[in-house]
Amino acid sequence: MNPNWAEENLQTIRTLMERSAVYRRALAPIMLFAGVLGAAAASAGLLFHLDSIRAFGSLWLSTAVMVVLGALLIARRQALKDNEGFWSPPTRRVGQALLPPLFSGMLLGFTLMFVGMDNTILLTFIWLLFYGCALHSAGFFMPRGMKWFGWLYIGLALVTICLLTVVVPPDFEINAHWFMGFFFGVLHLAYGAYLYLTEKRKSAA
Amino acid sequence: MNPEPSLQLDRVIHEKGRLAIMSMLAASPELSFTELRDALAMTDGNLTTHIKALQQEGYLAVAKSFKDRRPLTTCSLTAPGRKAFAEYINLLEQIVRQNKSK
Repeated sequence: MNPNWAEENLQTIRTLMERSAVYRRALAPIMLFAGVLGAAAASAGLLFHLDSIRAFGSLWLSTAVMVVLGALLIARRQALKDNEGFWSPPTRRVGQALLPPLFSGMLLGFTLMFVGMDNTILLTFIWLLFYGCALHSAGFFMPRGMKWFGWLYIGLALVTICLLTVVVPPDFEINAHWFMGFFFGVLHLAYGAYLYLTEKRKSAA
Repeated sequence: MNPEPSLQLDRVIHEKGRLAIMSMLAASPELSFTELRDALAMTDGNLTTHIKALQQEGYLAVAKSFKDRRPLTTCSLTAPGRKAFAEYINLLEQIVRQNKSK
């Protein structure tokens, strides 16, 4: 018997488990894509002073729609490349897990924009908390890292809110685009880079 | 109890076709018969035989329903199936560690 049979069996199991979930392989490019769009939207918001609640909300909601459409295209391209079904049961489960918190966050964002609540910082942290919950829910059908990524959003959002409320003086002003740029730009880029690096390491092993 | 991990491996799972089915289902709450057959490039007969063997062992649950007026067979791992699969993986990892330390 081949002395490496156990290792080969484990590799086969890993490959088969990944094959039943195309979105896993598409995750790194999706994260990088979301990060690039997040950083670009934050730069545009700061550059063009899109600071009113409506301008802020419109910019970030349209960015979110672009990210979702882009993510679907990337996953579909990956599925076509590997000659696999795109809308498979695992992908459907991830979609079902993401939908309620993302939809609620978007709807609440619209409501706050149109009732005239002029607080972009509060809107930012509401979105961050809903987004963190969405990632955490999706994490039940994805690699363990996704759950932690969700917790990171929730934790950082709560800690930042507390710091802003308790520590930072009330007259200190900070543009909400900086927070959005960090959370939706930098964090996605960092997670995408981490996924790329760890995937390469696994392939090399 | 046998201390040699390779002799403790579950013989039902330790077969190429059944291991492939268990691996696919471990990553997904459920998969249809067609999806399993296409992904694993198995014949209907071969897949049915393996599914029956896993079902008899209590590792796999089969549900029959209708979708767009067509019969749909879906398979999923049962709790004992997930446990057995996790134990199988643990044993494989033990064997790999033993081989590396030799």
